[in-house]
Amino acid sequence: MSVLVKDIAPGDVKKSVEQFSEATVRALSAARNEPEWMLEKRLAAWAQFEAMPWPKSDDEAWRRTRLTGFKLDNFQPYAQADGKPATVDALVQVELDEMQSAGSMVFQSGDVAFRHNAEDLSAKGVIFTDLRSALHHHPELIQKHFMTEVVKPDHNKFTALHAALWDSGAFIYVPKNTRVDLPLQVILHQSAEGAGGYHHTLLVAEDGAEVTVVDDLLGGENGLQNSVVELVVGDNSVVRYMNLQDFDHSTWNFLTGRAIMHRNADLRWIQVSWGSRLTKAFLDLDMQGEGGHGELLGIYFPTGRQHIDHQTLQIHRVPHCFSDLLFNGALKDKARSVYMGIIQVHPNAQKTDAYQRNGNLILDSTARADSIPGLEIEADDVRCTHAATAAQVEDEYVFYLMARGLTRPQAERMIVQGFFQAVLDRVPVESVVTKLERVIERKIGG
Amino acid sequence: MSVLEIRNLHAVVEDAEILKGVNLTLRSGEIHALMGPNGSGKSTLAYVIAGHPHYEVTEGDILIDGESLLDMEADERTRAGVFLAFQYPVAVPGVSVANFLRTAVSNVRGYTQQAENNGNSPAVIGSNLMPMREFRRELNEKMKEFNVDPSFARRYLNDGFSGGEKKRTEVLQMAMLEPKFAILDESDSGLDIDALRVVSDGINKLATSDRGFLLITHYQRILNYVKPDYVSIFFRGRIVQTGGPEVAHMLEERGYGWVEKEFADEPVTA
Repeated sequence: MSVLVKDIAPGDVKKSVEQFSEATVRALSAARNEPEWMLEKRLAAWAQFEAMPWPKSDDEAWRRTRLTGFKLDNFQPYAQADGKPATVDALVQVELDEMQSAGSMVFQSGDVAFRHNAEDLSAKGVIFTDLRSALHHHPELIQKHFMTEVVKPDHNKFTALHAALWDSGAFIYVPKNTRVDLPLQVILHQSAEGAGGYHHTLLVAEDGAEVTVVDDLLGGENGLQNSVVELVVGDNSVVRYMNLQDFDHSTWNFLTGRAIMHRNADLRWIQVSWGSRLTKAFLDLDMQGEGGHGELLGIYFPTGRQHIDHQTLQIHRVPHCFSDLLFNGALKDKARSVYMGIIQVHPNAQKTDAYQRNGNLILDSTARADSIPGLEIEADDVRCTHAATAAQVEDEYVFYLMARGLTRPQAERMIVQGFFQAVLDRVPVESVVTKLERVIERKIGG
Repeated sequence: MSVLEIRNLHAVVEDAEILKGVNLTLRSGEIHALMGPNGSGKSTLAYVIAGHPHYEVTEGDILIDGESLLDMEADERTRAGVFLAFQYPVAVPGVSVANFLRTAVSNVRGYTQQAENNGNSPAVIGSNLMPMREFRRELNEKMKEFNVDPSFARRYLNDGFSGGEKKRTEVLQMAMLEPKFAILDESDSGLDIDALRVVSDGINKLATSDRGFLLITHYQRILNYVKPDYVSIFFRGRIVQTGGPEVAHMLEERGYGWVEKEFADEPVTA
């Protein structure tokens, strides 16, 4: 397990986090015995973070998602392991037990609490490890890929902060023409209350590789999680990636996730946003090689006063790529959702085939969903469509099912579950589907 | 032997009275055709019997074997033995025919209630449903019997179905739910002759001595395939004439214009 910076002697480190500064970054890096090059990277990112302004309410990306009440200084970053033996929380154990995986890794409060490989991954040349170890054991790969190309530190204010303060994360490397059949499971359990976490996922699938990765994000009570996901999807590789966010409803959650797709790459990204008090997620598919096939599928179900915002970008830079985006959300109580998406087709990207759909099912008149789909097309021989729908659970649907003997709660449940089914049908791991269905059930119930 | 009785039924929607004193008695084994011009309130009668919350009953009663349905929700009426085949069945994307029907059948046949009585938690998926194997066997048999392609079990309910496929699926649902009284709201509308035959065959198979049918239709066409015991003319919210099959033939000859002339001036009385 880990300790928060505030718990560390000597006092000068403690002082440094009362307000974040360059010294905080130096102290964190030193506490983890990082190589000099990583410290340099962190410091450069810190300078970028300081130079960039906080989002303002008239920035298009932040017009509908305000940071009122968010204060970075309130969230203590993790510093180092405290040397106590790690125990896995019961909640996490359930997650581990339910999935049949090739390997699993649990991060609890910034540190590895558990790892187990059911398969001999290293015999295949597959790397499945935590980022901190990777700094020492695979420095060339990390220097080549970590926030250099897919998500650069200056991508936005939050990615710069992440690059300066990142604390935990998985590094997954699948060599050329290598296949990992069962999913690789990474669980982040942010267990300490009020902490600031900066979790990273770096997946490199080399040419012809095949892999499925599941990220589970849990905990985060009264905390902050500012994560980054980077996927490098090589020529002819097949990647299935699931980001399953189920934080406490008090967590501030910021995510920037991007995938760079090379020639004939095949990616399906499932984004689930169940938890958090507020989520702002930037998700991009960047199609750089011809013949790519990318799917970005999302589900969300805010209740209470949750606020969930997804902003997506499908970038077609080259000809003959296909991308399909589907985000379906249900809303209850006084919840709010925002979906903004753009399909961007560059002048050279002829024969682009791109879709974007966002559906919202509003269960209470006090909930509100905003949907802003968009197209920026600079090529002339393309097929692009976008659509946004918002529907109430209408009386006619409920009456039809009740006239077949279903009770009102059963009918409403079935309609909501059916609404999510279009995405669940495309989730490639059966145990994940079961888990998602259970959460939907729980959320409908109250 | 059961009886569905509609007694002096009045119903309003948004302050407009649509049903103005309907009286009708339907017994097990009977097929009663209800014919009338568009806008006469036939479909409203079907919805009111099935318990649509949009309509308010202001007077009269609906009873099965002496027990009033009026205080029951739509699902309770279905469990009491009423089945409404919709003119326009809605599509429910993401809900498969088999999954939906298993829940419906389990409720109507009492599996759900039985599980509750045994203290089973509804959270355990399947614990309150008809056993899967048994359900599957019955569904497959009935799909075959009622000319529904087996692939429909996995398809989403009415999603992307043609008009004929929807109506056939309605008949399949009726076959699975085994109601005491079936109300068919324009089950013949929009069907080509082949689909009409399939739907009519289904109705005839289900028209057993323990089941009554109220066949609501605008056209005489379906009555070439399904033979009614009684035919009533429905006009301006009530039944204005009842007789045998000859009433349908008369209507075909004279058309609804005749009804208009014949009954327009009749005072509406309770």
